[in-house]
Amino acid sequence: MTRDPKTLIERAIAVGVLVLLALGPLVFNDYWVDAILTQALIVGIAAASLIFLAAYGGMISLAQTALMGTAGFMIGNMVTKGGEGGESKGLTLGWDPTLSLVLAILGTTLIGIVFGAVAARSLGIYFLMITLTFSVIAFYFVGQVTVVSGFSGIAGINNYTPSFVGDMVNDRYRLYYIALGVAVVSFALIRFLIRTPFGLALQGIRDEPVRMSSLGYAVPLHRTLAFGLAAFLASLAGVLLVWWQGQIAPGDIGLQATIDLLIVAVIGGLGRVEGAWLGAFTFIVINNYIRDSWLTDLLDDVKIGGSFQTIIGLIFLAIVIVSPDGLLGLWDRLWGLVRRGGGPDRPTIEPSPAGQQG
Amino acid sequence: MSSTRRWKLLLPLGVIAVVASVLVSTSAATSQAREVRVAIMTDCKGGFGFGYEPDIGGAQAAFAQYAGGKVKNKKKPSAGMTGIKVGNTSVKIVGYGCGDDTVPTAVKETRRLMEQLKADVMVGPLSGDEAVYVANYAKSHPTKTFIIGTAGSQDPTLQIAPKNMFRYFGDGAQWNAGIGEIAYKKLKWRNAAIIMDDYSFGWTSAAGIIADFCAIGGKITKRVFPPLNTTDYSSYVQQLPAPDSVDGYFWVVGGTGTSAALKAYEQAYGALKPSQHIGNLFFAFLGADRVVAPKVVGSYVGGFGTGPGLKTKQAKAYEAIMAKHYPGLNGGNYADGFVSNYYHGAWALVQGLTKSKGQVGAALQKAMPRTLKSAYQVSGGGVMKLDGNRQAIQDQYPLQIVKNKDGSSGTAVVGFVPNVNQSFGGLFKKTSPAPGRTQPACVKKNLPWQGKIKAVKNGTITNAVIK
Repeated sequence: MTRDPKTLIERAIAVGVLVLLALGPLVFNDYWVDAILTQALIVGIAAASLIFLAAYGGMISLAQTALMGTAGFMIGNMVTKGGEGGESKGLTLGWDPTLSLVLAILGTTLIGIVFGAVAARSLGIYFLMITLTFSVIAFYFVGQVTVVSGFSGIAGINNYTPSFVGDMVNDRYRLYYIALGVAVVSFALIRFLIRTPFGLALQGIRDEPVRMSSLGYAVPLHRTLAFGLAAFLASLAGVLLVWWQGQIAPGDIGLQATIDLLIVAVIGGLGRVEGAWLGAFTFIVINNYIRDSWLTDLLDDVKIGGSFQTIIGLIFLAIVIVSPDGLLGLWDRLWGLVRRGGGPDRPTIEPSPAGQQG
Repeated sequence: MSSTRRWKLLLPLGVIAVVASVLVSTSAATSQAREVRVAIMTDCKGGFGFGYEPDIGGAQAAFAQYAGGKVKNKKKPSAGMTGIKVGNTSVKIVGYGCGDDTVPTAVKETRRLMEQLKADVMVGPLSGDEAVYVANYAKSHPTKTFIIGTAGSQDPTLQIAPKNMFRYFGDGAQWNAGIGEIAYKKLKWRNAAIIMDDYSFGWTSAAGIIADFCAIGGKITKRVFPPLNTTDYSSYVQQLPAPDSVDGYFWVVGGTGTSAALKAYEQAYGALKPSQHIGNLFFAFLGADRVVAPKVVGSYVGGFGTGPGLKTKQAKAYEAIMAKHYPGLNGGNYADGFVSNYYHGAWALVQGLTKSKGQVGAALQKAMPRTLKSAYQVSGGGVMKLDGNRQAIQDQYPLQIVKNKDGSSGTAVVGFVPNVNQSFGGLFKKTSPAPGRTQPACVKKNLPWQGKIKAVKNGTITNAVIK
């Protein structure tokens, strides 16, 4: 057992947060449980898939939002029913919700593996661009192919959930606990995986791909599998998202949504998986409250414009400049200040320069 | 510790402190005493972002006129309003929704307004897809009341039709009643192409044109679907048949795209011939009168369920109310549905709250008026009625782009189509597919107003029928 006091404090905080979240409906009001915390847990899962690839695979993916949406659109097309009183967009196949859930997760993971196989041979800015291309293709596919959605999206998905999930409209706490459970399992899965031989090899590939290749490791295969795993996590977020929103539209996977997820990950910290949920929580709280604040009025008055984008942009800038490891990096710095007079404990995670192999 | 390191630590901590104090003060400010809480949902971004102030101004003018609301800034409606009272009940505008015509933003903004700011009633939204989402949201939140702002998609009050949702104006299809007949009779069109925004409102608006034109015998030979907010329309214009192979084109391209779409057409096929182009409301409203209309002077326009320049007592009274509370709003074009539809929604709400004695929820929904003396209604003694789905059956006014004496472009009402209902004489039903790329099909049919559209001259409805 570690004796590092920082780790002990972090574990104590983690336990405290988990207890608080477990007691969520008793501690927070309905809006906070349903809109803020549930959404933060879902977005956090998607951001964790991005951070997993960035921190342990050295790959910053802009396809995670698209993969999340892929699962959402699959569920939407499979579970909804047409006809009188039914839905009017999508394929309205009316399949069993449990079967659809499994198919959506499997299908998205498979698509992720295919995406990964294409993108795995590139690095840095090229990897970023290829994954951005996936994202744009997915956006226009669901927008333009009106048989599967159209720009208006598919609504009423929350009326068709598996029996073990229950009524998404009237029993919102259940969705909260499901999201919490999935978030904890996702976190544990990533932490477990990075300690397995696969995870260690992946980190070796992140740092020295040429050397790992020389040692006989299949570099593209490892990257592809990592991408597939990240797609699996994103699909979980996608399923929860459509249950939470009740609908899905191309805007959910558009360029703005893609950038938003990257901002969430950067704010939380690209170096540590738990930063995903911290970033999501911060982003969502600011998004919800800043518009009705004096800060917005102040920025409006000085003609800067106090929109959410302006404010989140300023925060993003501040974090990128002074704490590239995000809010968790700030914590590391704070701890370093107390212990040794400043400096982070962990190395900064930065994207590799364009085309750099290693 | 070096000064650089200290700075790098202090700056983000400072940012966190500012944001935290903002959030704490904001959340404290939202916990106020109980009153009727109203949210106005509109767009401040995207293709219809310029509807933000006109929409809020329209709604608040009604509160100022009928519920004692005090305008804070006559030039900027979003500066707010205080002192709204219906009987003994205080009404508070808790927030303005900032949509961008997309569903994901509508999701967040609707929840922010209805759950975080705890609004009892929403007046809004502005755009078609947003209204589809809000209608689904309304279904699962029966204690909240929703009065559609100016969104014109058909689904919210026909296919979805939650009992707690009201629309005191026509949908996008109703706004085009009569325009197909005018194309057929006055312009002698027989074959036409249509280009429509690829989303709920574009489909509904196009559905009205297609239904009206085909009902009298016209044929739609091509349908083209650019995504909303497209910036380069050249590839979509290339999909249209050449000018010598159709009699004309119907344009259902809105927001910031109308001008760009027409420009792409000019680049492909040369100057626009007004008699070969008919637009939906986006040829004439929301600033199009300054940007788009000059290019198509003489073209007919579907309309917005309003009669700009209509010389009736009700229309003049409404325009005087707008000029009193928000002079110059929307360039003085108060007949723009972006202003008048929000106005009518808020006015209906005041009537509903008066009847329910300030009660919200089911009591308010029961008390909401089923008739309204709306500004541009002439039929039925000037009283507009709602149908069983709480959707307006309203008069419609086809328009024509004209050149004003000062050289600017404007609109003139040319036709009067009485009592247009949402079903288009039974063509659109709850069980029929919602308008889409291929819906409705082009079919010949008798419409209730076919052959009965009266000519309007100089703002006065004549007895002459358009031939």
